[in-house]
Formats: sequence, structure tokens, C-alpha cells
Amino acid sequence: MRKFTFILMALFVGTIARAQSDYTKSLNGIQWVKIESKTDIVVKTHSSNELLIKSGPEVKTPERAKGLKLVGEGGTDNTNVGFSVVQDGNTLIVYNLRKSKGAEIYLPASQNIAVKSTWNGDIEIDGFSGEIEADAQLNGGVKLLNVNGPVTANSLNGELEVVFGKVTQDSPISLYSTNGAVDVSLPSNTPANLALSTLNGNVYTDFEVKSEDKNGLKSVLGRNIKASINGGGVKISMKSTNGNMYLRKK
Amino acid sequence: MEKNHVFDQIPDYLDGNLNKSAEAEFEKHLEQCADCQKELEEMKTFFNVFEEEVPTPSDRLKAKFESTLEQEKINQGKVVQLEAKPSSNWIGNILKIAASIALLVAAFQMGSLFQQRKVNEDIAQLQDETNQMKQTAMLSLMENQSASKRIQGVNYIEEFEQPDEAIIQALANRLLYDENDNVRMTAFEALVKFTSSETVKTTFINALEQEKNPSIQVAIIQALVQIQEKKAAEPMKKLLEKEDTQPFIKDQIRAVLPSIT
Repeated sequence: MRKFTFILMALFVGTIARAQSDYTKSLNGIQWVKIESKTDIVVKTHSSNELLIKSGPEVKTPERAKGLKLVGEGGTDNTNVGFSVVQDGNTLIVYNLRKSKGAEIYLPASQNIAVKSTWNGDIEIDGFSGEIEADAQLNGGVKLLNVNGPVTANSLNGELEVVFGKVTQDSPISLYSTNGAVDVSLPSNTPANLALSTLNGNVYTDFEVKSEDKNGLKSVLGRNIKASINGGGVKISMKSTNGNMYLRKK
Repeated sequence: MEKNHVFDQIPDYLDGNLNKSAEAEFEKHLEQCADCQKELEEMKTFFNVFEEEVPTPSDRLKAKFESTLEQEKINQGKVVQLEAKPSSNWIGNILKIAASIALLVAAFQMGSLFQQRKVNEDIAQLQDETNQMKQTAMLSLMENQSASKRIQGVNYIEEFEQPDEAIIQALANRLLYDENDNVRMTAFEALVKFTSSETVKTTFINALEQEKNPSIQVAIIQALVQIQEKKAAEPMKKLLEKEDTQPFIKDQIRAVLPSIT
């Protein structure tokens, strides 16, 4: 009996401790989670149907800010972990209000997520099967690992790296970068229609693809490569204006 | 003697098979016996009925029949000859057959022509309906919450050889107002095939003024230079003056601006 009480106490203390540094919110009725951040953001999967924000122990509120609330262009800190979380219809909008130090966000694997980095932050998303939209608007890079669903990713100066798990859906995949490299790993047996194009960069791949010239003329958009692999299937469009492109077999 | 009836002799009498004495005796009895007279009368009628019912063909009849048969045979032979005669008229017959076949074929062709026309109409109608459905699907996909679905909607443009104004306008709206860079880029790639349309030209010029993504900016600049659109010069100059325009965009504009002014 004493042992049982001890375990109960430990659990209780654990919950209290967690509640102090983490933020959770149920995802009932939520279709999309939109995350916006100026700093690095890492999105991982967990098994419960809730949003969990781990800001980590290193985030400390300055002594002078005691009794004050953190405010930013995304709203007011209503989570005590430096985030503003607002529900809009079936969408949960998550703003990271801090401009330094990253955060880890945990969501169920099937969640549709849209992540936007508006300054220097890198976006890393790992292990999701729902739909993913990633937009690194300035200097951040995008790294998507073990994703299975439709992906729409875009970066300006950062690198765009995507490692696909199994791709079976028919919704298109679209990966564009202006100045960064586009680096994609795809299972070699993926049925897909590929469209690769780059203006000033080069395309490197070990898939069987070849350049398509219309009547010997270069296309308006520069080097365009269209190819279907494994009999054709989901449309995968990749484009880098100034960067190189790498398409690897996994 | 009265009681000695001659009933059994009546058939022989009638057939004339009795000898003279028997016949005389029979007739003598007959005169005295009313019964026998009556019997004779009845027998006579009976035999007459027989004779009438089953007339025995006479030799003459038989001969006549055979001669008639011969005659008939001869006549029939003549008929066969008559039938054989039209063989000289076989061209006419073939023509008749040909005419009937031609009629059959013509009727069949006519039928299949009408059928075909109806089928064509049906196909045209179906195609129309399919296009309508595709257009509806395309337009509704382009309003979807998911960026990937919106891109899918934009990609539907490949299904239309000559998209109507509604589709062009919907794509133009995607290029001008979609919040997702990938959707805007895909919409541009869809529209760049229809630069002969005035709507598309105007859209590109408007998009160039408000677009922030350098990849789309440079793609629009190239498309507008390709079609030698003079009105593009103004927004390009504005981009040159802007501080946040990417250096490579400025280089690009400087390189192409002389060719369209």
C-alpha cells in the first residue's frame, strides 16, 4: 500500500512538473494545425490526440518580466511557454512569439500541419502521414523526414530536404526553392509522374529520367524534365530557380 | 307356296344369276306374295345405293384417265420448258436480286447512319457533361483548404484543350491571391500556356506588381519578355527600385528591359 501511494505521488509530482514547462491542448474537431515561428521549429509525432509544446528547460522568463505577459505580432502568450494558441473554426493557429531559441511541438502522426518560418528558423518535420505544408519564407531551411502524405514545401534561401516514406496518395507533391538546393529521397518503387525544373541550377538523379525539349527549343522556364517512373502515378513537381536539385533513390 | 318365300333368292335375281326356270318360278311367286315384292323393292333400293355410293370405274374411265394423265404429263413438260425459258432473262433476275440487296444495304446503312448520328450526339453530350464535371471539380478543388488539393485542381488544366474564361479567371485568382507560394507557382505554370489571352497578360502584369516570391517573379518576367509585352516595363522598373527585390531579379530585369522598351 505504501508502495502504491509512493507511485501515485510520483505520478502527481510528474504531472505538476510537466504542467510547468509544457503546454497541451486537445485536438478534438481540429483538421489543421498551423504553426508560425521566427525561430527553429521541430514538429514530431506522439500517440495522443493533443497538441504538446515543449519549450524546454532553457527557456526562462527574464526576472524583470515577472507579472508581465509576452506579446508579439501573433498575439499574446496564452500558454506560458511563449506561444499563442488560438482556435479558428477547424484550424488551430499556433504562434511562436519568441524570436530566439527553438521549440518542439508534438502532434498525432495523421494530423494535417502547415508550418511557416518567417525569419531565420529552420523547419523540421518528422514522421507524419497527414498533409504537410512547409513554408520557409526567408532564410530558414525545410527538412521533412519520413513523410507519407501530400507535401507542399517552399523555401527562399534555405535548403529543402525531403525524405519520403511510402507515397501512395494521389494528391500532388510540390517542392519549390528559389535559392536553396532541393534534395529529395524517394523509395525507388514509387509510381509517380515527375516534373523537375531549374533555371540556373543543375539536376542530379539516379532515377531514369531524361530532358524533354520541345522541337529542340528550350522551354520558357529553363530546364524542364518530365518523366514517369514505375508506370506513373502521383504528380511530384520540383523546382529550384537558382539552386541545384538532387533526386535520390531510397 | 305362299309361305315359301324367296328372300334368299332376291340377291341372285337382282344380279341375274338365276337360271331361266328358277327365274320364272321366282317371278311367279313374286306376283302372288306381297311380302316378297316388298322385300325385293327394299333390296333393289339397297343395291342401288351401293351402286351409287361406290361406282366402279369403267375401262373407258381408266383409259380416259390414263390419256388425260399422259396429256397432263406432256403439258407439264411444256411448263418445265417454259420455266427453263427465263434462263435467257438471268440478267434481269440478278438485277432484281441486286436491287433487293441494295435496298437491304441501303436500309441498313440508313439505320446505322441514324444510329451513329444519335450516338455522336450522345457522345457530344456526354463529353460536354464530362467537361462540365471536370470544370466543376477543378473549380471546387481550387477552393479547397488543402494546398495540395488546390494544386491538384490547378493541374486539372491539362484536361482542357481550350479552357473557357471561367477557368482562366479562376487560375488567375489563384496566381494573384493564393496564400501558398506553391499554388501560385503552379497556377503560373498553368497560365503560361495561354499567354495569347488578354486576361492572362493582364494577370501577369498585375501579379508582377504584387508578387513577393522571387521564383515566381523571375518566371513571370521571362514569360512577359517572351511575348514582348510592353506594359510589363512599368512594374519591372518598380521592382528595380524596391530595396527588398532579390539581386538576381534586378540583374534579370536589367538584362531584359531594353528588349521590351
